[in-house]
Amino acid sequence: MNRYLKLVHLEVHRFRYALFSLMFLTAAIQITGLVHTTQVRVKGWREAARLGEHSTRNFSFADVIGDLQFLFAIPILISIVVLGLYVFLIWYRDWIGRDKFAYRLFTLPTVRRNVYMAKATAIFVFVFAMVSFQLLMLLLERQLFNWMVPSEYRMSSLFAEAVASNLVFVRFLLPLDGIQFVVYYGIGILAVFVLFTAVLLERSYRLPGIVYAILYVAVCGAAIGGAVYLNLYNYFYPREITAIRFCIYLMVMGFTLTLGFRLVSKKITV
Amino acid sequence: MNKVNEWAGITFNSRDPVYAQVVRLFKEKIVTGVIQSGQTIPSRRELAALLKINPNTAQRAYKEMEDQRLIVTEGNSPSRITLELDVLRQIRAELLGTAVEAFVATIRNIDVPLDELLDVIQQKYTEAQAGKRQEPPEAPFESGEGGNNDD
Amino acid sequence: MIELVRVSQKYTYKEVLKDVTFTAEKGQITCLLGLNGAGKSTILKTIMGLTPIHGGSIRIDGEEINQNTYERVSYIPDHLAIPASMKLSDALRFMEDFYSCWNKDRANELMRFFDLDLDERAGRLSKGTAAKFNLVLGLAQDSDYVIMDEPFAGIDLFNRERIAEVFSSELVGNRGVLLTTHEVKEVEYLIDKAVLLRDGVVARSFECEQVRSEESKSVVDVMKEVLLT
Repeated sequence: MNRYLKLVHLEVHRFRYALFSLMFLTAAIQITGLVHTTQVRVKGWREAARLGEHSTRNFSFADVIGDLQFLFAIPILISIVVLGLYVFLIWYRDWIGRDKFAYRLFTLPTVRRNVYMAKATAIFVFVFAMVSFQLLMLLLERQLFNWMVPSEYRMSSLFAEAVASNLVFVRFLLPLDGIQFVVYYGIGILAVFVLFTAVLLERSYRLPGIVYAILYVAVCGAAIGGAVYLNLYNYFYPREITAIRFCIYLMVMGFTLTLGFRLVSKKITV
Repeated sequence: MNKVNEWAGITFNSRDPVYAQVVRLFKEKIVTGVIQSGQTIPSRRELAALLKINPNTAQRAYKEMEDQRLIVTEGNSPSRITLELDVLRQIRAELLGTAVEAFVATIRNIDVPLDELLDVIQQKYTEAQAGKRQEPPEAPFESGEGGNNDD
Repeated sequence: MIELVRVSQKYTYKEVLKDVTFTAEKGQITCLLGLNGAGKSTILKTIMGLTPIHGGSIRIDGEEINQNTYERVSYIPDHLAIPASMKLSDALRFMEDFYSCWNKDRANELMRFFDLDLDERAGRLSKGTAAKFNLVLGLAQDSDYVIMDEPFAGIDLFNRERIAEVFSSELVGNRGVLLTTHEVKEVEYLIDKAVLLRDGVVARSFECEQVRSEESKSVVDVMKEVLLT
């Protein structure tokens, strides 16, 4: 356990600059966009007020976030892509480069599954760090919005409304429904494990391993996808269907971890 | 003690057992007075490090020298060169014997009467001794590189 | 004792190791000799569980490889497996963090012995210096065995001598050493035992002093005889 935590620390430490860069990028793009759009809005409102157009509606933070669909999506999508690539790189970086760190990593006096779990944990830490950072940014951005917009133009909005007004949040990052949130992130975690095990298949069997890996991902993907779109409402109660889905996820997870641990401890070649 | 000078630059013959060469090295050093009887010698591992040889080989050389009563080891104290005059005399005889054997082997094919040979030997020997007195070619290690004997 | 019994390994149908059997004793220096590609490094990797075997068994003092193996056998690969950005002091702390057998005093002693700078970054070391630091990481563990892969490869003469000194010193002490090299001359007088490999097969294994006294041959002689005929 102790060494597992040390390994997590090591992995997080190795990715810290990339993580900070992503955070900086997110903050920079979002704040710039927010400031600009808010300024335009405020200017427009002033203009309208000067011309005596009383039909001008007050606007809220949620409106501005809603205006910024694309600009807010960019850093989030970049982060998703980078973290997605890092799911692979977190393994391959230990094989490439002058240091070939795998030699050290796999001769540390600890069970190998700790290495596997530490890398997975590190990925989850990055994802949740980014999500928390995004939430924090939204709070900050709302504060910024409140400073910039005189209260007479401003309409108050719920924080949830702001989240809901941008597709990238509702669809990908922060489903507002609790169950959906759990399912999203649950499947995300499962996907990371499946990809890890696929990487280990390749690292263990090299060229034929690529074929095994693709087949493995296909099978797991089919199982998970099948579970998601399971449509047997004529035969089962919804609650039963949820239970069936949950069982499928658990089976895929169990099998993936068992295989992954076995590969990393017995089959891998540095 | 200036260990650096004493043991540096010794090369071994890779086709003969190294432990035997170490034993011979000690005998030569004793006979030529480079190490005195009664003097303590490096530990096995120190010697291995100084000569850059395997510690087990050094160990075996020491064992051999103990068997030949060349060195004595009492308890945990460092090994010393023996004080037994018999043994020392014997080593001297042994080295002299092998050297002369080698000499005889080289000149065996030269047709020379023993008297003449002895004359030549005497002449060369005197020359060599005279040269040695003028300027000692190989200074004893104790006075070697002055005070520069830190490790 | 590190004991390999009929160890074999295949890499996509090519046999890399075939029935490799030998032992490396504690308190002895055993050397795997062979041309490039003979399987020397692979053998070390199999002992460290860094590549699977497809037959035979490897035991360390009678035990199969498990996570405790890594506390008892320290491995010095043929390169410095430390991230380039790490300072040497960080690398030492990293090792101390993970190995309960880490001997801090010995680590400091070794750093002095090799005259290494704690503030230097791993990626900026010259090849010779990196090799020395690599030895520090392996030898500062209070392990029973030390496994070294090509400790002399690509190192200049001066540094080679410094590294060779380690083998006879207290720094290795009474541990068992298993190393690979293709520079036999460097280790001629250092090793107890040689295991000659040819194409993944043990062609001959022998005690060096025995061969010198019984056959009047040097390790180089035997190697030439066995590998070049």
